[in-house]
Amino acid sequence: MSDLIVLPLVLPLFGAFLLPIVMRTSISIGAWIGPAILAYGCWILGDQWMSGTALPFSLAIGGFAPPMGINLYIDSLALLFAFAVQLLGLLFWPFKIDQETARRQALMLLLVAASTGLALSGDLFNLYVFYELVAVATFGLIAASGSSAAYASTIRYLILSGIGSVLTLLGIALIYSQTGTLNLAHLAQLAPEQLNNKLGLTAFLTILIGVGVKAELFPVNTWAPEVYATAASRVSAFLAGLVSKLALLIILRLLVLIFHQPEAVQVMLVLGILGVITGELAAWRAKDVRRMLAFSSIGQLGMIFIALAIPEQGGLLAVLALTFHHLLIKSGLFMLADGWGGAIEKLRGAAKRSPLAAAIFVLFSLSLIGMPPLPGFWAKFTLITQLAAQTSPLYLIGLTVFLLATVIEAAYLFRLAALLYGPAAEDTPIDTIPKPAGLSLATASLFGIGLLAAALFIAPVGDLLNHVAGQAANADLYINTVLAGTGGSQ
Amino acid sequence: MMPVLSLELILYTTALGLISIGLAGVVLSRHLFRMVLALVIAEAGANLMLVLAGYRWDAVAPILTTLGEHPPMVDPVPQAMVLTAIVIGVGIQALAVSILIRIRQRYGTLDRSQVAERMDAEIADSAGIPRDVSQESPLGERPLPSLPDSTVEIRGGHS
Repeated sequence: MSDLIVLPLVLPLFGAFLLPIVMRTSISIGAWIGPAILAYGCWILGDQWMSGTALPFSLAIGGFAPPMGINLYIDSLALLFAFAVQLLGLLFWPFKIDQETARRQALMLLLVAASTGLALSGDLFNLYVFYELVAVATFGLIAASGSSAAYASTIRYLILSGIGSVLTLLGIALIYSQTGTLNLAHLAQLAPEQLNNKLGLTAFLTILIGVGVKAELFPVNTWAPEVYATAASRVSAFLAGLVSKLALLIILRLLVLIFHQPEAVQVMLVLGILGVITGELAAWRAKDVRRMLAFSSIGQLGMIFIALAIPEQGGLLAVLALTFHHLLIKSGLFMLADGWGGAIEKLRGAAKRSPLAAAIFVLFSLSLIGMPPLPGFWAKFTLITQLAAQTSPLYLIGLTVFLLATVIEAAYLFRLAALLYGPAAEDTPIDTIPKPAGLSLATASLFGIGLLAAALFIAPVGDLLNHVAGQAANADLYINTVLAGTGGSQ
Repeated sequence: MMPVLSLELILYTTALGLISIGLAGVVLSRHLFRMVLALVIAEAGANLMLVLAGYRWDAVAPILTTLGEHPPMVDPVPQAMVLTAIVIGVGIQALAVSILIRIRQRYGTLDRSQVAERMDAEIADSAGIPRDVSQESPLGERPLPSLPDSTVEIRGGHS
């Protein structure tokens, strides 16, 4: 039963290779392959969650037990992320039928497969391979929007991402030269003796910056506003909503399992604070919707990095709450931006043209700045209480910046909301005000419904996240689960 | 043992040197194709580092299992990983070059700042907003003081 968990990883990969061939003979059959695979993946993962299989468990791939072989590690966090990948892949599926359909859908399947791999893999080098696979699929999808600016932003992203992978690879080499293993559980076992030194810190920092490219970490996030402004909205939504969170997941695992040095956490805290400041201020200055969302997502991820710097289960809970909250909100907002992509000024009076879209935007904005009783309030409240409980002054700076950022967020989001509900400019007839397309609006509504549902059932959701955070924070559980079959002490 | 040790030192220095040269190249180049080439160099450095991580100077290749007694073997795992990394690298470089061709076709240039400039202009244009900062009309006092003659060439004043 638990072996089925590889299918959400393997089937999209298989489908990605098959799709262009099938599309050649019959487009109508081919168009169903992708959604069917993703729906099946959702079903398997959901079933795994519901059936109450004992979590976490580890699955050795290729018949060698860890630490020799490669394993998948499935705990509730990994399962939750894998499910989110498949579901969002389905929601953001590129349905449009034209000459490029086969390629676009194949790339999307590839992206979903690699993202699922990132969520499940328990081996550092495997994570690197999936990370690169995500990158390649992403480049293709961004460039697929076809404008010249999209090609230019792709190559700039590719070069930055290339620097990131060189640094990651360097970090991996450093870790391997010190420990001789890349299995995360085995590394966690060896880390207190062998990586608790300057070399370990260097390795962590190179990997942090390398992986941070995708997580929109402060100095390496210049790609975000360009890419999100030029790529198709669905791709932007998937990247900002999910792929950045998967990169965070890698860093989270490394922090929990391997690197416990206080310096590592401090660097992350400082970079997070800088990310919040730069991101939110740039978003406040932005004049078009997409770039405003891109900068705001840099700011939000900065907040998550601040939360990640709290080395306790409570900090992890804040990370998860902020992560899943941002996943819902930013995906929904980018879907709205599908029709509202242009200058903010053009949206004057758009609420009359499309009342539902404006209402959803206000709902998302309120939750994003943390208005109770919406889930955003609880996510931010958790982080604030956690930060206030820390004694180091750096955390208090983080708290201050975090609160100030909320004010700036409110300023730019309400400015847009006021424009939406304000009177239309006199010389523009109401039909010319842009409005989100039906499908995008429907998808955004789904995220809105999800947000409201989370607000209604906030207590069970909170308990669930707390349980997930507890499981993810337990390094001993990880080690014992993966190495159980091999005596655990090699 | 001394010469072996120094050889190891040279190799490690080479690896780190290649990475530094590559990263410096990415930062300093003005031509996008050179930036991609610089990335190739940096990647070679990282791969060398990975090979060195598992190399043993007193050991044989891990396929020589037919020798009479079993001598110590070189760790094959990093070599397998480097193969993977090389393949990934080549794939990404090919993709990069194909995108460069497209950019060259559309924009007629591969100069980094010109491409960035035109991309910004295109984004602003499609969004319908005026650009407040650009390299042609930067913020600050105008006219800007002219560059000293000796540095015009270096800073690309006449290009």
